[in-house]
Amino acid sequence: MITILLNNVEVQVEEHWTVLEAAKFYGLEIPTLCHNEGLSPYGGCRLCLVEIGEKPKTRLVSSCTYRVEPGLVVRTDTRRVIQARRMMIELMLSTAPNSKILQDLASRFGVTQQRFTLRNEECVLCGLCVRMCAEQMDGRAIGFQNRGHKKKISTPFDIQSEVCRLCGACMYICPACQLRCQGPEPDTAICNACLTMEPTCLERYDELQCWMYDAGRCGTCVQDAPETGRPKPE
Amino acid sequence: MKTIEKLNTTRDLRALIDEQIRLRKAEKKTVLTVSSGTCGRARGSEKVIHSLRRALKTHKLENKVKIKVTGCHGFCEAEPNIIIFPDGIFYQKVAPKNAKDIIAQTILKKTILPGLLYVDPRTGKAESKESEIGFYKKQKRIVLGDNALIDPENINDYFSVGGYGSLLKVLKKKTPEEVIDEIKASGLRGRGGAGFPTGLKWESARKAAGEPKYIICNADEGDPGAYMDRSLMEGNPHRVLEGMMIGAYAIGAREGTVYVRDEYPLAVKHITEALDDLYRLGLLGENILSTGFDFDIRVAKGSGAFVCGEETALIASIEGKVGEPRQRPPFPSTRGLWGKPTCINNVETWGNVALIIDKGADWFASIGTDNSKGTKIFSLVGKINNTGLVEVPMGITLREIIYDIGGGIPGDRAFKAVQTGGPSGGCLPKEMLDLPIDYQSLAQAGSIMGSGGMIVMDEKTCMVDVAKYFLNFLRDESCGKCVSCREGTQRMWEIVKGVTDGTAVLADLDLLEELAAAVKDASMCGLGQTAANPVLSTLKFFRSEYEKHVLEKRCPAMVCKEIISSPCQYTCPIGQEASTYIALIAQKKFEEAYQVIRKDNPLPSVCGRVCSRTCESACKAGEIGDPIAIRALKRFVMDWAKEKGLDVPVKFPMTKTQKVAIVGAGPAGLSAGYMLARQGYPVRIFEALPVPGGMLAVTIPSHRLPKDILQEDIDYIIKSGVTLRTNAALGKDFTLDDLFGQGYKAVFLATGAHKPIEIGVPGEEAEGVLQALEFLKDVHLGRPPELGARVAIVGGGNSAVDAARVALRDKSVKKVTILYRRTRKEMPAYPEEVEAALEEGIKIEFLAAPTRVRTKGGRVVGVECQKMTLGEKDASGRAKPVPVPGSEFQVPADTLILALSERAYTPYLKDSDGLILSPEWGTIVADPVTMATTRPGVFAGGDVVTGPSSVVEAIAAGKAAAQSIEDYLEGRPLARARRLTRPSRYVEPVMLSEEEIERAKRPKMPHLPPGRRKSLHEEVELGLSRDVAVREARRCLRCDLETEDGKKATGKTI
Repeated sequence: MITILLNNVEVQVEEHWTVLEAAKFYGLEIPTLCHNEGLSPYGGCRLCLVEIGEKPKTRLVSSCTYRVEPGLVVRTDTRRVIQARRMMIELMLSTAPNSKILQDLASRFGVTQQRFTLRNEECVLCGLCVRMCAEQMDGRAIGFQNRGHKKKISTPFDIQSEVCRLCGACMYICPACQLRCQGPEPDTAICNACLTMEPTCLERYDELQCWMYDAGRCGTCVQDAPETGRPKPE
Repeated sequence: MKTIEKLNTTRDLRALIDEQIRLRKAEKKTVLTVSSGTCGRARGSEKVIHSLRRALKTHKLENKVKIKVTGCHGFCEAEPNIIIFPDGIFYQKVAPKNAKDIIAQTILKKTILPGLLYVDPRTGKAESKESEIGFYKKQKRIVLGDNALIDPENINDYFSVGGYGSLLKVLKKKTPEEVIDEIKASGLRGRGGAGFPTGLKWESARKAAGEPKYIICNADEGDPGAYMDRSLMEGNPHRVLEGMMIGAYAIGAREGTVYVRDEYPLAVKHITEALDDLYRLGLLGENILSTGFDFDIRVAKGSGAFVCGEETALIASIEGKVGEPRQRPPFPSTRGLWGKPTCINNVETWGNVALIIDKGADWFASIGTDNSKGTKIFSLVGKINNTGLVEVPMGITLREIIYDIGGGIPGDRAFKAVQTGGPSGGCLPKEMLDLPIDYQSLAQAGSIMGSGGMIVMDEKTCMVDVAKYFLNFLRDESCGKCVSCREGTQRMWEIVKGVTDGTAVLADLDLLEELAAAVKDASMCGLGQTAANPVLSTLKFFRSEYEKHVLEKRCPAMVCKEIISSPCQYTCPIGQEASTYIALIAQKKFEEAYQVIRKDNPLPSVCGRVCSRTCESACKAGEIGDPIAIRALKRFVMDWAKEKGLDVPVKFPMTKTQKVAIVGAGPAGLSAGYMLARQGYPVRIFEALPVPGGMLAVTIPSHRLPKDILQEDIDYIIKSGVTLRTNAALGKDFTLDDLFGQGYKAVFLATGAHKPIEIGVPGEEAEGVLQALEFLKDVHLGRPPELGARVAIVGGGNSAVDAARVALRDKSVKKVTILYRRTRKEMPAYPEEVEAALEEGIKIEFLAAPTRVRTKGGRVVGVECQKMTLGEKDASGRAKPVPVPGSEFQVPADTLILALSERAYTPYLKDSDGLILSPEWGTIVADPVTMATTRPGVFAGGDVVTGPSSVVEAIAAGKAAAQSIEDYLEGRPLARARRLTRPSRYVEPVMLSEEEIERAKRPKMPHLPPGRRKSLHEEVELGLSRDVAVREARRCLRCDLETEDGKKATGKTI
C-alpha cells in the first residue's frame, strides 16, 4: 500500500492501481467513456482527466492510464479539469450528436452549446470495439486505420474479415452507434432533455419508470418535454 | 574499403587514429571539397563533381588534386559549394560549366574567380574565404564544422580529425559512472526539443532494473523546414555513432537502434555504410577492442509519421506496433523498448557526446548561457537571404541569427515574425528579436526550442495562413488517439480556415482560444500538448491580423485567396473589377468590358491615363514577370467606347427631394456628385476656380491627360444630372451655414490640398522662384509665367516631373534639371514619367539637396546644392538622405521651380462651422470609412482629409461619402458592412497555347517620339492597339477564378 493525496485527503491505495481505480475505491465519481473494466486502459476520450502535482506545476492526465505513485497529489474536480472535460464532450458531441451517452454526458456536465460544425458520424474513435474484439472475443477482426483526422475503424483492407464471428460485441459496447438519443433534434442541438429535468414520468406514473436511469427507455420524458418548448418527435 | 583490418586492442585503434591524423597533416595535395548532401545533390552537385573530375583529367592533375565529396556545409543558399583547401577559398552555386575555370584558373594559376564568390546581400562585398563570410562568422560550428572536412563514406577521414578518440578514452580510462558525471557536468540537454538534461536521463537508465538495456537514436526528424539531423547523419555519421557507443558504455546497454526516416535515403545509406565499417573494424560487436564491451547497432526505418518522433510512439513503432504514444510514466529510461530500460536521445544530442568527452565538460559548459549549454543547430529557412543550417552558441539573439548570419530578408522587406520549434512551436514578433535564445527564454515567450526549425516570415506572410498551415500539418499527423488532439486540431483548423476564407465571426476567435487551451491541457503526449502553440502564439502577437480578416474581410499580407480573390480588384480603392474587364477584353467583348468599368468608376478615361495603379503593383503576374498593363487596357476600352459612340450619359431621374451640396469639383467632389445623382438626389457642386476638375484640370499637364478627355468625363457626370457652379468659393461667396440655410440637407467638402510646403532654404522668396502647382495652374489657365533659359526643379514627385516636362515645352527654355535628394529607386513619381522625362532630355541630379538659392539683384541665378548619401530608413520606410560634408556644388538656373509637397489649406472654415482640423496637418478630421465630420450632415473626403494622395483615392472618398450621405439622409446608420472581394460575374477564361505562353510579354506603351513632343497639349502616350490589348488581356492569370466561387462558376481550375 502507498499513500497519495486525493482531493486533499491522504488515502492508502494499492500500488498497481490507476488513479481512476483509486478514486472509484474511495467513492469519487470520474466520468469515463473509452474505459471499461474488462478492457485494457486506453486514454483516448480524455473525460477521466484529473489534475496532478503541486501548484504551479500541475498538469492534467487521464486517470484511467495514470498509475498511482507514492506521494502523488490528485485533484479530481478542479475548474481546469471541468473546463477541459466540457470541451471534450462538446468535441465528441459535434462528431456524433445522436449518441444518447454523449447527450447525457452533455446534460450532466452542463454543456449547453454546440459551437462546431456538426458531422453526424456514428463513431468517436474511443476504441472500445477494437479492444473488445481483441481482448474479450479474441477476434482482432477490426482495428484502426490511418491517423489524425483520417483515422477510422475498419477491418483490414476494408473487406469482410475472415476472423469476424459476427458476435456483435463491438456493437454491444459502442457508446455512439447503438443507443440513440430519442430527443427531438439531437442532430442539430444539444438535447438536454433527460438528465436536466424533473423526471416527467412521475406526472403520469406513481413510480419512477427509469429503472435504467440513464437510458430513459420509457420515453415519457422525451415525448412530454414541456419545458424545452421544442416540437415533439413524430 | 578493401584494406580494413580488424582492430583487436585499444592500442590498435590508437595507432590507426594517430596514423590518420598524421596523414591529414602531411597532406600536400590541393583538396577540393564539394558539398554534396541531399540539398547539394538536388542542386546538381554530382554533375559538378563529374565535371571537376573530367577537368582534372584534361589537365593531368588527378594525382595532385584531390576531390573530396562531403556532406552538407550548411549554406544551402550557396549549394552546391566548393571549399578549396588549404587556402579555404569558398565558391558558391557552382555549375558544371564552371569546373574548367576552377581547375584552369584557381588551381593552376591561383586566381580567384569573382563570379563564383559569395556576395553579401547587405554590403554588396564579395568574400573569397569561408571564414570571412557573414553566414559563418558568428556561428560556432562544433558539431557541424567537421562536415566540410570529412568524406562521410570514408571512416579514415573521421579518424583523421581525431574521431573515436573519445570512445577510446572512455573505454580505457573512465568508468560508466564517470562518463555520466562528465555529461551531467557539461550541462548538455536534449536537442530534440524538450531539453531534458541528458546526464540525468542516462543515470536513470543506468540505475533502472532490467536487462538488457537499449539505446535509441531518434532520427525521426519531421518538422516542416527542419533538416539539421539529416545533415549531420549524412555528413558525419560516425560523430553520431560514436556518441551512441559512449552512451551505451555509460548506461550498460547491449543494443542500439538508429530510428531514421525512410525519406532520408542518403542518411540511411551513410549510416548503414558507417555501421558496416565499424563491424569490419571490430568497433561494434562482441568484446570490442578486447575490453569486454559488447554493443550492436541496427537501423530501423520509420515510415514518415511525425508522431513517431515522440519517444513512446517511436518505441512502439520499433516494436512493430502502431506508432501511438502511451502514458508516461513509466518513462522509457525505466520501461522502454521491449519493456526494458531504454535511453533515447536525439541525433544532435548524440552528436555532442564525443565532443564533451574529448574536450571536457568545462569546455562545453563555457559555451552558452546559465541553463542552456553548448550550441544549437537551427535550420534557418523562409524569407531569409542565407538559407541554411546554422550552429550557434546558446544565448545568441534572434536578431544576430536573422540579420548577421542570415543576411536579412530578401528584397529589403520588413521582418514580421520568426517561427521556432516547428509545428509545436510558436511565432515570435519583431519585438522579440533581441531575445537571447535558450530553452527557458523561448518557452517564456510562448514558443519552444524544438528540434531547431526556424522559419523567418516577412510582411508578405499572413500569420493566420501560417497558423492554418501548421494546423493542417498537425491534423494530418496527430496519431488520433486523444479526442483533444484529433478533434481539437481538426476543429481548430476548421475555425482558422473560416478566418482565412472570410467566413468566421468574432465569437469564433474566442472559441478558438478556448479550444486551444483545452487541447493543450487535455492531450496525452507532447504533440497534442503543443499543437495549439501555432494558434495561441499568433493569436497572442497578431490578433489584429485575425480581426482584420474577420471584421474587415481584409488580409493585410494579401495571402488568403478566398478573401482577396484577385489582387487587382482587392487593392483598388474603388473596387474596379479589373480581372473581369480584362477577361472580357480577352474575349473581345469590349462593350461588356466598358460597362464593367463604368459601373464602378465615374472618371474612367481619367483613370485610364493617370491612375496610380495599385492594381498593377499587386498583380500576381508581376511576381514572376511584368504585371498586366491594367491601366493601358482600361484606357483602350474607354477610347474604343468613345470611338464607337457608346460613352453617352443617361440623365438619372430625380427621385429624391433632399438637396446635397458638394464643395470642390475635383475627382472626389465629381464622383460623389455622380453617385448621388445616380441615387436620384438633386446635387449641386460649387467650384472656386473657373473650371471644374480640380487638380486634374489645373495641375496634371495636357500631355498626360488631354483637356478634351477630362472634359468628356466631366461632361458625362454633369449630363447625368449634376449641376455645377464655378467661380463660387466657400468662405468667400458663401458659408456652410448659408448652404444649410438654402435648404441643402447635406454637404460634402472636397476642396483638396494645394498649399505648397516651403523648402526652408535662404533665398526662396527671390524673383524667379515658382511653386510647381502654381506654375502648372497658370499654364493650364492660359497665363504661363515667363521662364528663363535654364530651369531647375526641386522634388521627386509627379508634380516635379510634370513641371519639368511642361517647362521644357516652353520655347524660351533650353535646359531643365531636376534636383532630387534620394535616388531613382526612391522617386515617388511614376517610373514611366521619369523615363519619358529623361527621354525628352531632362537632366535629373540624384542625391542632391538645395541648401541656398543664389540670387543677384533679387533674381534667381542658381541653386547651391549638397550631395547626399542614403542612411537609415525612416518611418516611411524610405532611406533617409544624409548630407555629405564639403560636397557643395552649384546648379545655374534662371528659374527655380519648387515641387516638394502640398498640404490641406482651409482658410474658408470658421470656428462656427463646427469642424475640427488636425493640428499637425491642417486637414479636416473625418471618419476614414464613412467620411463623416464632427458636424452632422457635413462630410469631407479626398486630399482635404488625407493630405495629398492619388486620383483614385479621391474618387473612392467621393463614392464613400455619397454612400454615407444617402444613409444619413435616409436616416440609416452610417456603418459599412464589409464584404469579401468578388467580381460581379465570372467570365470564361481563355486558353493559351504553350507557344503563346512562351511569347507573352507586357507590351510597351507606344509613345510620341521625343523629337515631336513640342506641344503642350499633344498626348505623349498613344494607347494600345486592339490586337495588342487583346493579347495583353489574354496574359492575365485570372486570380478571380481561384476562389471556390470562381471554380464553381466556371467549373474550371486554372
